[in-house]
Amino acid sequence: MKKKVLATLLSAAMAMSLLAGCGEAAAPAPAAEPAAEEPAAEEPAAEEPAAEEAPAEEAPAEEAPAAAGGSGEYTGGTQFDGVVAKEAYKFPVDVKSFQSTYWQAALKGMDMAKAELGVDYDAHGPNSESDIADQVNMLNSDINSNPPGIALAACDTKSVLDSLKDCADKGIPVVAFDTGVADAPEGSIVATVATDNTQAGEVAAENMYAALKDVIAGASAPVRIGEINQDATALNIQQRGMGFVNKITDLIVADGKKVAVVGNEFYANEAKKAHADLADEASADVIIEVAVPAQTTVELCSAQAQAILSKKDTIGVFGSNQTAAEGLLAADANLSLLGTDAAGGDVIGIGFDAGSIIKGAIQDGTMYGAVTQSPLMMGYYAIYALTMAANGDKVEDFPTAGYWYDATNIDDPTIAPNLYD
Amino acid sequence: MAATEAILTMENIDKTFPGVHALDHVHFDVRSGEVHALMGENGAGKSTLMKVLTGIYSKDSGTITYEGKEVEYHNTREAQDAGIVIVHQELNMVGDLTVAQNIFIGREFMKGFRIDDKKMIEESRKLFEELKIDINPRDKMSDLTVGKQQMCEIAKAISHQAKVIIFDEPSAALTEKEIEDLFLIIRDLRAKGLAIVYISHRMDEIKVITDRVTVMRDGGYVGTLITKDCTKDDIINMMVGRVIYEEPKTESHVPKDAPVVLKVEHLNAGRMVQDVSFELRKGEILGFSGLMGAGRTETARALFGADPKTGGDIYVNGEKVTINSPQDAVKHGIGYLSEDRKRFGIVVQKTITENSTLASMENYMNGPFIDKAAEKEVTEKYIKELSTKTPGADQLVVNLSGGNQQKVVIAKWLVRNCDILIFDEPTRGIDVGAKNEIYKLMNRLTAEGKSIIMISSEMTEILRMSDRIVIMCEGKKTGELDISEATQEKIMTKATRDIS
Amino acid sequence: MTKKKSILADQRVIVCLVIAALVIIYFIFSPEFRQYSSILSMLDFSYYDILMAIGVTFPLITAGVDLSIGTGMVCYALIAGRLIRDFNLPVVLAMLLCVLMGCVVGFANGFLIGVMNLPPFLATLCTCMITRGIGSMIMATPWPTNKQPGGWFHSIFKLTFGTGRSATKIPIGFVLVVLLVILMEFVLNHTKFGRYTIAIGSNKEAVILSGINVKFYHVMAYVICGCFAGLAAVAYAAVVPTIQPGTGAGLELDAIGGVFVGGVSARGGYGSVLGTLAGVMVIVLLKTGLPYVGLQANWQQIITGMVLIGAVMIDVAKRRRMAKEQ
Repeated sequence: MKKKVLATLLSAAMAMSLLAGCGEAAAPAPAAEPAAEEPAAEEPAAEEPAAEEAPAEEAPAEEAPAAAGGSGEYTGGTQFDGVVAKEAYKFPVDVKSFQSTYWQAALKGMDMAKAELGVDYDAHGPNSESDIADQVNMLNSDINSNPPGIALAACDTKSVLDSLKDCADKGIPVVAFDTGVADAPEGSIVATVATDNTQAGEVAAENMYAALKDVIAGASAPVRIGEINQDATALNIQQRGMGFVNKITDLIVADGKKVAVVGNEFYANEAKKAHADLADEASADVIIEVAVPAQTTVELCSAQAQAILSKKDTIGVFGSNQTAAEGLLAADANLSLLGTDAAGGDVIGIGFDAGSIIKGAIQDGTMYGAVTQSPLMMGYYAIYALTMAANGDKVEDFPTAGYWYDATNIDDPTIAPNLYD
Repeated sequence: MAATEAILTMENIDKTFPGVHALDHVHFDVRSGEVHALMGENGAGKSTLMKVLTGIYSKDSGTITYEGKEVEYHNTREAQDAGIVIVHQELNMVGDLTVAQNIFIGREFMKGFRIDDKKMIEESRKLFEELKIDINPRDKMSDLTVGKQQMCEIAKAISHQAKVIIFDEPSAALTEKEIEDLFLIIRDLRAKGLAIVYISHRMDEIKVITDRVTVMRDGGYVGTLITKDCTKDDIINMMVGRVIYEEPKTESHVPKDAPVVLKVEHLNAGRMVQDVSFELRKGEILGFSGLMGAGRTETARALFGADPKTGGDIYVNGEKVTINSPQDAVKHGIGYLSEDRKRFGIVVQKTITENSTLASMENYMNGPFIDKAAEKEVTEKYIKELSTKTPGADQLVVNLSGGNQQKVVIAKWLVRNCDILIFDEPTRGIDVGAKNEIYKLMNRLTAEGKSIIMISSEMTEILRMSDRIVIMCEGKKTGELDISEATQEKIMTKATRDIS
Repeated sequence: MTKKKSILADQRVIVCLVIAALVIIYFIFSPEFRQYSSILSMLDFSYYDILMAIGVTFPLITAGVDLSIGTGMVCYALIAGRLIRDFNLPVVLAMLLCVLMGCVVGFANGFLIGVMNLPPFLATLCTCMITRGIGSMIMATPWPTNKQPGGWFHSIFKLTFGTGRSATKIPIGFVLVVLLVILMEFVLNHTKFGRYTIAIGSNKEAVILSGINVKFYHVMAYVICGCFAGLAAVAYAAVVPTIQPGTGAGLELDAIGGVFVGGVSARGGYGSVLGTLAGVMVIVLLKTGLPYVGLQANWQQIITGMVLIGAVMIDVAKRRRMAKEQ
């Protein structure tokens, strides 16, 4: 509960500074986006490196088993297994800000890795994620101290390019975490540790199907599964959306049912490309309907969700980010169709990310569950990646997984730290 | 009348704006029960003096004595409350409100939070009865004619329990009939003992309605005359310092066999233009006379393509042409000088150069770029030819006087090489001196072979300038007179033919 | 001057017909829309649009505009929401604070426009940016949910009896907004403030020369607008689960568009709050209703744009006809 206290204190400080004078440029500005996985809205390409990589569990464990006792709690089966720090490195870590619990979780992961490896880190971050220049200054002063490596979550991927060039020139390895830097100068970023969105979408699909398997199998008429995607342009949303659609299609088809994907043209076309055997809406047993609102606002997500939820044949809906998931909940406010008892007629609602609304809905049984990204793991692996780089070893990009959580494991110590308010 | 003490005296009023000595120790007084004319060319300082009186401007020095006490007002409200009310030259009515709402704007009758519209309508009705005006207080202001709006302004002024009413060019937009009504009201007010200040350019009216005349020139006080003891020329001499009054033209200088440059047959455009036909000869000034709302401007606009026509043929130099837009008209060498310069004629926030070449941009291009040098050259040529008073071609038009603005509009069409010019009220709002210059200019243009259609509401202007006169009434052409046979009476008979 | 006034000459009647047409189309083509819950949801998301639109009607009638209401609304809701969560600010006070903040920003707009003579578009664009900037500094904030203490304020907009699927829900928020609309319609037509608002839009010069404190009334039009943006913030917080920082830009356009559809003249000087209500309902129906008939999202905006063009054309035609009759 210490984190909560800290978070509350921080937000209190923020609120007071607001009261003191909103206009002052120097006022400590709190974190803007808790949904910190969303940089793709501006830099759709940012997470590309992560996406191209094989999912976590398939990552080649090329690291030879090293000195005994070098295994960390979560390094098993990864390239980090058996890594030992050759020196007691101290790495500067540049986060986007400290204001959100999302970043607190990342730091907690770093602490875990730090304890396991016997290295240290020093975190810097601007007052808010929009203080781009401040972050660049911090990064530059870190570079000047010639550290063994730097971990960077860039507020703005374009603004850090010059600094990254310096890193490449000086031979300082940089690990990008949370947000990839698409056009990073050759030799600057040695590895990117960010969420694998395709896999995250697949996790949602697997859980959705697990909940609905019997309903689908026993259905006498076609049933419908909805997906609300905030947009059809941002790469991370596209990957998540398609990860869900493709996976659930595979699962249903494997059980001998016919699937149609309808709705937004982009997603429907992508699904056709991936599956040659899709049925049309009239002949399908399961219709997957993908809806995209005109603007990325909760109200329009909600209108789309409402339209899908109101259809009598709908048995499940996935909201692929916080806004879409909350839109789904807002739509359900007047319908009360969502629940956890699929066999009893409840519509299964699955969300993404956290926030107190989604967490509350999962706890009270309105939402079946959700997929969270793992800032904790990103922080943890970022320190490992840095240590390897400082040791002079080659590091691969490391996509972190999306984790399933529901009412049963929401307080689990490996999950809870990732769930910001 | 001379026996009465002045109710209002302004003594040694001085006011300087940056760069202009607007009022130079001006004296003015008005007595109860008199109509006192305040005259002077535009820019002489009449309006400024009245604005100082009603608190819109503050004076630099001098004293204002009203009902025996020295006063100074800080805004129109204070002046109104004291009984000094101004009826503005530009109508200051809120078009979207009703007549009653306008009359009582700023001092609504209230019932708690609620405006008591009923009482306001009742009071307005009483006012109109008193003034013998037939206006429904419930009508929306923008639905009334200009003349009726003016009457509302007067009613509003009187409702302030006014003791001094200032009329700032009240007749500028009124028809002859409306002016008569206005004079009836003014006489009535005078009889009730109100003091009336009457600002106007129209010499005829001054003679008819006023008791005394004070003349101002260039911000200074020239003198005060008893109206009945002086002649028009006396007043004009005081205003401009020279005799300029010209007698009407007696005969046309245009040869009878001059070629017809423009022929209009059976032009129709809505209810304001019904079956209008006429011819315009080379070198001729064709006057269009008639009362307000006779359809003269509408005819011109339909001819020019500014408003849609429903029928009629137009021939330019004997050839039938199609004119569906001003572009078409300009292509055939027709230029139109709007009566409302500010709205249609010029772009006030632009320079003389930009305005002069506005209609003929394509001739002053160098590839995709504007040929500034050529533009300037032609503009300066016309500044010289039209003797436009300006420090230079780069002057913003907004800084010019009305007469010089009009010259810029003329220049615009001359630059475009228009041979047929339609002058719609060419001298409205222009002072006597500048008027004369415009007249000279029009005569010169016709001498050079241009042809002019001149729409004018001023009888003297029509009689002085036209070679032939077309008279319209309620959208129809009711007569055509050669200048040699035209008289004021004949024109007025035709102009009012259908009006009972 | 006796004019035959066709009932169709009143834009509000046309707008109501458009609403009826839309509802009928939705009813025919979408079985989902026929459900009571669909109507409820549509209403839920209409309140803040309506409230913003009531407010912005006043600046629009003065021939001005207020672009800051969308970002302002989100900014107030964020600040108040943070104070509720972090300082246990009572929800009542938070609501009042929203309205107060709205009035302050409205006053700032009014001061810049009415006193400093800045063009309304420019002045409110600046406050739009400022409120958006302030709004983006604050952490994403949900107001208390229905089940949390302080969640009672949701009942202002929707009374819920019972729980779960069998619950009865009454959208009393609509009654509330309609009452506000009627109140403001009265203010517009029967109080000095309303009358001068119209007069300023019609002929500001004339109002000044009538000895009226034009600056005061001009500023007041924006204060009222801001006040309603503050009320809208409460309505927004009641339906939007988590208020995201830095959002809100564009929401004002729905409201402003609705006002124009409702017949406020694009040149000021004429308008009615009842018309505004009808106009916003058209926008809301298009925004939240088109998904029901299976139209892809982009069509909503295209159709909304075309409806706006239609509304403005009516205004233009009306003026042209009036000009002809003169």
